[in-house]
Amino acid sequence: MSGRFRLSDLPLATFAILVLVFLCLPIMIVAPMSFSDAKSLEFPPPAWSLRWYQNLLGNPIWIDAGKNSLLLATLASTAALACGTLAAYVLVRGEFRGRRIVEANFMAPMIVPSIIVAVSLYIFFARTGLLGSFFGLVLGHVILATPYVVLIMQAAIRGFDIRIEQVAATLGASQLQILTKIVLPNLVPSAAAAWIFCFVMSFDEVVVTLFISGTHVTIPKRMFAELMLQVNPTVTAVATLLIMFNILALVLLLLVTRRSRTLAAMT
Amino acid sequence: MIDASLAIDGAVAGPAAAPASARRRFRWDLLLLIAPLLLVTAVVFDVPLLNTAYWAVSDAKSGALTTRHFQEFLESNAYMRIIWRTLFVSLEVTLVTILLGYPLAYWTTKLRPRLRMIVLALVVMTFWVSILVRTYAWIVILGNAGLVNRSLHWLGITSKPVEFLYNELGIVIGMTNVLLPFLVLPLYAAMLRVDQRLLQVAETLGASRLRIFWQVFFPLTVPTLAASSILVFILSLGFYITPAVLGGGKVPLIANMMDLLINRFARWEIAAVVSVVLMAITLTLYAVYQRLREKYQ
Repeated sequence: MSGRFRLSDLPLATFAILVLVFLCLPIMIVAPMSFSDAKSLEFPPPAWSLRWYQNLLGNPIWIDAGKNSLLLATLASTAALACGTLAAYVLVRGEFRGRRIVEANFMAPMIVPSIIVAVSLYIFFARTGLLGSFFGLVLGHVILATPYVVLIMQAAIRGFDIRIEQVAATLGASQLQILTKIVLPNLVPSAAAAWIFCFVMSFDEVVVTLFISGTHVTIPKRMFAELMLQVNPTVTAVATLLIMFNILALVLLLLVTRRSRTLAAMT
Repeated sequence: MIDASLAIDGAVAGPAAAPASARRRFRWDLLLLIAPLLLVTAVVFDVPLLNTAYWAVSDAKSGALTTRHFQEFLESNAYMRIIWRTLFVSLEVTLVTILLGYPLAYWTTKLRPRLRMIVLALVVMTFWVSILVRTYAWIVILGNAGLVNRSLHWLGITSKPVEFLYNELGIVIGMTNVLLPFLVLPLYAAMLRVDQRLLQVAETLGASRLRIFWQVFFPLTVPTLAASSILVFILSLGFYITPAVLGGGKVPLIANMMDLLINRFARWEIAAVVSVVLMAITLTLYAVYQRLREKYQ
């Protein structure tokens, strides 16, 4: 279609821009509110201050939650990346009966509503004594993250020329050598992208965490608890930091991959 | 590539194995590689889900199979009301998402490349910010002293604040906001794939712009629109955070009901029944979604 501007395009453009504003408004509004001096969520803020950030950084509960979240996300995304990458390699290169079923099984945690995973893990962990343990929490996050690793890494491995591996095999390299010395080093950008993706997912996860974390506090869990109690502007400061964290992660992800295949697999 | 050639140089010393035995050893290696994820998926996903299904159809004490829990669930007005409300709210959210998302995706395809990238970047960015944060922001925006109510008051449209929060309206606004990218991004991609020559042919044959849109362009985007709408509907069914935060506990949906059953009333068996029902609905719709995607993409 031609790029000529017609007057009849104006209603569409206006409507679309309003939708775009609706979409972005939550992200745009939180940051200015976090610098407000008011105790209520007044807009526009009557005066500016950094009191909510001071409040946040001076509160050991939030600091503790931050440490927990970082540790949890690091462990979960690393474990998910390790298991997911190896499995993705087998799914792409291996030929065996039931391959499609195994793949569907790996993808299932992405499709099943997380509330069902949360309830199921709650009942199961309660019976096996894992409920409320940090290890159980890590496992819960790993299972939510692995489908994305398998998806991203499968796309990356498919893009890697199998003839290079065949040449290596002909030259006598073992399967392990092929994997560790040839395939994996070439997958580093995609693996980094998958790791960042999982890290952010784990860092933001609420539902499963609420059910199985017991007394362990993470940032989203603490934030959710605050929201259910009362309106506390400290949460606005937390939200602003989370938005910055998410956008930084997205930029990092784009810098790391630059390859459209990885991005296509994610959207 | 450089890594690969170096590794091949290093491996030259080893003799090439006989093909048959190599193939057999190959498989054992693969099994070892896939084993960790198989194990994790089985222990942390498959077994817990099957266990939940078992809870739904068995007596907690004796372990004997029973349909008692399903009966209790089906005969309770309270549970049924929440199920129907969830379906209704999800339908509302899906319709609003279509009405807002389709024009946005369409308009984006008409933009110059650079503007297009900016719009897409904004959509992807919202996609990336946590649901909890975006939901919370609506409390800030829609609250009694928030941006929207202040503006309405200032413009003289309302004399007292409009109640946006802690009702169904708030939930629909919040959920639509979260789910819009799931519709806009695939639709945008589908619209770009539409063969422009078809539209040119229609134009040459004298069709009006409106007619070209409704009779040529729109039908070509319907499969993707249907698939993404089903996806939005599925995601709405399981929403927990937005109804909890923006509904203030007054408009519980299925997920909030499951939370209460587990954490407040300790009725695990009913929570298990609800899980099975929600799972069945989700998987059925997902099968339709996959069929649509495989058929038209």
